[in-house]
Amino acid sequence: MSPTRVFLVDDHAMVRAGVRAELGDAVQVVGEAADVATAVAGIRASTPDVVLLDVHLPGGGGHAVLETLRAELPDTRWLALSVSDAAEDVIAVIRAGARGYVTKTISGADLRDAVRRVAEDDVVFSPRLAGFVLDAFAAAGPAAPAPAAEDPATDPGLDLLSGREREVMQLLARGYTYREIGGRLFISVKTVESHASNVLRKLQLSNRNELTRWAATNRLL
Amino acid sequence: MRLRVSRGRAGVAEARAAAGAVDVPVEVMPPRCAVDRRPDIGEGPVPTLNVTGPRTPGDHRCARSSRGDTIDVVTTSTAPTAGPPGLPAEPLPDGRLARPPLVRLHSGRLLAGVASGTASHLRLDPIAVRIVFVALAVTGIGVVAYALLWLTMPAASADGGAADAGIVGQRPSRRQLIGLALLAFVAVGLVSRLATFGGSDVVLPLLLAGAGMALIWRQLDADPRQSLTSGVARWGLIGGVVLGVAGVVLLLATTGQLANARNGFTATVVILIGIALATAPLWRRLLDQRAEERNARIRSEERADVAAHLHDSVLQTLALIQRHAEDPTVVGRLARSQERELRAWLYDPTVATGGTWAGLVARLVAEVEADHAVTVDPVVVGDLPVDDAVATLGQATKEAVVNAAKHSGATSVSLYTEVTPTSVTAFVRDRGTGFDPASVPGDRRGLRDSVVGRLTRLDGTATVRSAPGEGTEVELCLPRGEQAEAPA
Repeated sequence: MSPTRVFLVDDHAMVRAGVRAELGDAVQVVGEAADVATAVAGIRASTPDVVLLDVHLPGGGGHAVLETLRAELPDTRWLALSVSDAAEDVIAVIRAGARGYVTKTISGADLRDAVRRVAEDDVVFSPRLAGFVLDAFAAAGPAAPAPAAEDPATDPGLDLLSGREREVMQLLARGYTYREIGGRLFISVKTVESHASNVLRKLQLSNRNELTRWAATNRLL
Repeated sequence: MRLRVSRGRAGVAEARAAAGAVDVPVEVMPPRCAVDRRPDIGEGPVPTLNVTGPRTPGDHRCARSSRGDTIDVVTTSTAPTAGPPGLPAEPLPDGRLARPPLVRLHSGRLLAGVASGTASHLRLDPIAVRIVFVALAVTGIGVVAYALLWLTMPAASADGGAADAGIVGQRPSRRQLIGLALLAFVAVGLVSRLATFGGSDVVLPLLLAGAGMALIWRQLDADPRQSLTSGVARWGLIGGVVLGVAGVVLLLATTGQLANARNGFTATVVILIGIALATAPLWRRLLDQRAEERNARIRSEERADVAAHLHDSVLQTLALIQRHAEDPTVVGRLARSQERELRAWLYDPTVATGGTWAGLVARLVAEVEADHAVTVDPVVVGDLPVDDAVATLGQATKEAVVNAAKHSGATSVSLYTEVTPTSVTAFVRDRGTGFDPASVPGDRRGLRDSVVGRLTRLDGTATVRSAPGEGTEVELCLPRGEQAEAPA
């Protein structure tokens, strides 16, 4: 299997160099860009497997790149990378189609793992992102928020997490890996992954106002 | 005059620098200094420098430095009260600057501060100056001189002294009232004398117009930093205008010139409107410039704030990091605590200071990271105000995190807390060595007393999950029960 082809987008050369060094030989870095215009051109030319996308970019932000290329490159996966951006911006990138979100302080091993996971079409939830999801989706559950959400039968769709999904998110927020979650909940890793994918889909598709409002008043890391 | 001081200082500094740097040029310096100074001292007494003269370079340097000191003393003593009477005979040419500047003083003024300012400048008793003014006023020259001085003398800035600033905007003192009453008395006398020549009809209008003028002048003459739109000032101005206009109209009416004046008035208004229209762009530009300048000032102040904060925090930390470059643990800890501090300053001033659970967690994480070589990643879902039970939960959580930091051997600890309507839960997880909870000896008090014990006293639960090699997770749960508030 050929190594994953990765494209780096970050406006700080030092961060790009650091990420490149941490990715090491596990992946093949096919290009770098420091702003929206060069990123769009470079990604279009190199059609990478995974794009590591800085949330905050000169020229429109990470989601501008994503929105431009999403439809054009359906096989490219996107992983948001951020240091201290407003939750609003992170959520904007995820809702635009990123498959996950990691912070720039992530360890090399975790970053490689996240890239591999995204390349395999999994989703990557940092504990903070999981916490955000729980917070945003619990903030305005219909009448009785927490107990109702625990009951899978009352899950009406995009606007609520199922009980299982909540459990998975809680364990992710507690720092568990997918494998450990599977062990705790007596389900397979694949099932955990599909729960996580569902949550991400809800995060991307739900049009609850509370989501945006929460993001506007809170920060992820 | 001020210019002279600065030049004198610069000269001294220059000379000092030259004298300090090389020994040889010192012998060359004195003549140049003297030449530099000659224009300044032309009208003054003979300068010491030339009288004593440099005997040796060393001597001269001392003399010069003492000179410099004197200049410093002089410039700091420009306060109005300074200056002993005998000073004109002082030996130093620049000593003439010790005379207080000719400004209108706010403190101790009777009318506009002209007399008191002049007296202070001349180092005379204000009473004497006032008497002279009054005496001259009888001939008319005094009034003109007073008016001219009033126009040309700058008002003393309010920051000249605390006492001075305190008086600004206060009610007129008794002395001031007496002075004004005297002046009014004199004015009435003058006007009534005038009335005997021109007929008594003009007395009232003249008085009205005069009073109006006086009111307007008093208000506009106030400290420029006091807003003209403030209540008292505005009413004063309006009253002055009304009085003045009434006076003028009455005057015109009594002299039968009202019809003529109306024509003249119309013409004047037309001309004024024309001028206003023609110069409108100029006014507009002036206003814009003022706004721009104010914005620039605000920006530069903000910049200075940010710079000050960055200097006190980030730059200091960077310096520390450079000094500890060989110790990754210290560097990491410094960077992390600085990052947390900066982040709080940038984004979360309320969490950092407010008495909520999220703020409490952020503080306890900061404390643990400062004391132990671990990183803690807190994830907080929901929030609530801190009460006694929550504070205790915080202490137990901190103890659990400290335990993980001390005994697990892991370099990072996950902390997750969730606030629900029914409970507050906290999970502390590490991926360290772990242990078998059943085999912990009874005398190990850390977890049992300070974590489990605390929670049981609050009707909460504490669960420890651990196995050798698999890390540890402590789960703390505090029911919220009757004090359940709406989730924040």
